[in-house]
Amino acid sequence: MSRSKLRELGLDLPLLPTTSVGSLPKPPYLLKARSDFAQRKIQIEELKDAERRATSFWIRRQEELGLDVLVDGEMYRGDMVAYFADRLSGFEQGGLVRSYGNRYYHKPIIVDEIGWKGPITVEWWRYAQGLTSKPVKGMLTGPYTIMDWSFNERYASRRDACLALAQEVRREVEALVAAGCKVIQIDEPAVSVRPEELNLAVEAMEITTRGLKAYFLTHICYGDFESIYPGMLDLAVDNFDLEMSNSGLDMLRVFSKRPFTSDISYGVVDVHTHVIENAAAVEQRLRRGLELLPIENVWVDPDCGLKTRTVEEAETKLETVVAAARAVRNS
Amino acid sequence: MTSPFALQKCSVNEMNLLTANHSSYPRIGSTPEEQALRRAITRRDQGRGTDSDVLAAEDCLALLALQDQQNAGLDLVTDGMIRWHDPVSHLAGRLEGPRTGDLLRYFDTNFYFRRPVTNSKLARTNPLVLDEFRWAAQRSAQSVKTVLTGPLTLARLSLLEDPAANPDVLVMSYAEALSAEIGDLAAAGAGAIQIDEPWIAKHSFDLPLALQAWSLIAAYKGNAKLWLATFFGDAAPLYARLQESPFDVLAFDFTYSPNLLHVIEADGSAKPLGLGLIDGRNTKLEDTSMVARQVERVMAHVASSHCYLTTSCGLEYLPRDRARQKLNHLTAIKNSFLGVQQ
Repeated sequence: MSRSKLRELGLDLPLLPTTSVGSLPKPPYLLKARSDFAQRKIQIEELKDAERRATSFWIRRQEELGLDVLVDGEMYRGDMVAYFADRLSGFEQGGLVRSYGNRYYHKPIIVDEIGWKGPITVEWWRYAQGLTSKPVKGMLTGPYTIMDWSFNERYASRRDACLALAQEVRREVEALVAAGCKVIQIDEPAVSVRPEELNLAVEAMEITTRGLKAYFLTHICYGDFESIYPGMLDLAVDNFDLEMSNSGLDMLRVFSKRPFTSDISYGVVDVHTHVIENAAAVEQRLRRGLELLPIENVWVDPDCGLKTRTVEEAETKLETVVAAARAVRNS
Repeated sequence: MTSPFALQKCSVNEMNLLTANHSSYPRIGSTPEEQALRRAITRRDQGRGTDSDVLAAEDCLALLALQDQQNAGLDLVTDGMIRWHDPVSHLAGRLEGPRTGDLLRYFDTNFYFRRPVTNSKLARTNPLVLDEFRWAAQRSAQSVKTVLTGPLTLARLSLLEDPAANPDVLVMSYAEALSAEIGDLAAAGAGAIQIDEPWIAKHSFDLPLALQAWSLIAAYKGNAKLWLATFFGDAAPLYARLQESPFDVLAFDFTYSPNLLHVIEADGSAKPLGLGLIDGRNTKLEDTSMVARQVERVMAHVASSHCYLTTSCGLEYLPRDRARQKLNHLTAIKNSFLGVQQ
């Protein structure tokens, strides 16, 4: 069904389309520019130049590596929630909290009514799409995850905050669609951790995408999938981007009991290790998935965003993804 | 109404409310000093620093955590668990047997832990947190509570190498390993040892097994007061059976338990309670007088001469400035409660 939707949108993708989840590592010159900007050593235009240069680099590299659906690499983002919170009204930047090990992020605080002030990602999407003839995904964080990864001092309940966010994220989706974006990924990594709130996430996604003309993906990762499956398939998207290899393909056991009925972006390389997986092993992971999943429904990508890897590691991991897909396509 | 666990109830006026840090504390903040640990780890990982630099930075941040608690006027402090990579691998990684596995979210937080991969055989060949307790006890003017993740949570968040192995055996293996640690902590003078068992709050079917494991470790507590802390789930359905557990103090996360106040009012408590009425996961400060009234409601049904006011969970989920506010808020509420008492 989603193949026909892709065709209706004018997208002619090969079997096993390859893509990346979203974030890619920032080259050293961009890291320096961000640090210099934070210390007020350079102006915003100088930082933006570095961000555009890095975006161009990654668009070119993804084309060279042979990926089919590209991402802008999120060179302009710090993290996936604060970036949006900073650009919506109603949020205040919070202090640093730890995500794991030695990694920290600024967790936003909802202090007032949330509102969309204008396009957030459209300019960057247009810039990236202008560099390539291949489709570039629009990249958003979903309302449930923005709510769950923010502190809430304004709304009476999590539900109220989530549904308010859904209305405003939808306006960003509408802006992307109006700009010509046909493939839009709405990341909801938090969906898998509170099974009791899955219905809320479903309701919010319905508000966010209902009736809009685009192929929608959502990325969910590092949680207890078993507890939200198959209910998660009710999320109003066409494609579920899942980390499969990090958990040793555990999800296939779940799919064997209850068939996976949507399109899937099937993660075949672990993004949290410096190790570059053996190409044959990655191909084997994909082949195991195809024992259960219809090949026309499967996209291939890494488990999650690659921003924590070095540029070279990310390139090699993406190369491995493409090689695995090609090997299976050609067999 | 009959209170089955409060047969020798004290009057509210005779009761003492103490303040306690729950467990973890932010290991980063906005000042250069508060960012020393992050910088030291980054430099070491880049080959520009050493393990000794990281240890020194950990000491610095642990000291700052103790100072924040002292400045807030807390009665019972922790070392902030500053040295912990996460609540699971810090302990499992120091045991013989488990190896580091994949990355998973810690319950419903946006915080991640490395899942241990193991068979059912574990061995504690070296102390786990004993040195950390000694370090903090030497530097704190207040009593120090030591925190250990419990055997049930450790086991259920581990992956068994042999899928056919009995996962319940692993619970008891972790319990044995923790027993030895608890024995050493008690011998070293630890007055309060808290066992964190968030798993049980959402998996009550595991309670019979948990009680077995807890009985095993409780046998080693010596003169220490053994705490149980449940969080990230509703403890109300478990409350009555937890009263029969071998713990000396029960600490609850009230943010997930809308009925817990009523349950305590109905059943009473034979044990001192840790009242996690302050949300450790949201920045909003609770209304002081409202919480003071909640404390009063609970303490009217507690047989013990004292209870502890604390946060719903560790404070590491908050930015440092907000965590510090929550600590200060504990004391403000305690003072308000004492005012109510008078």
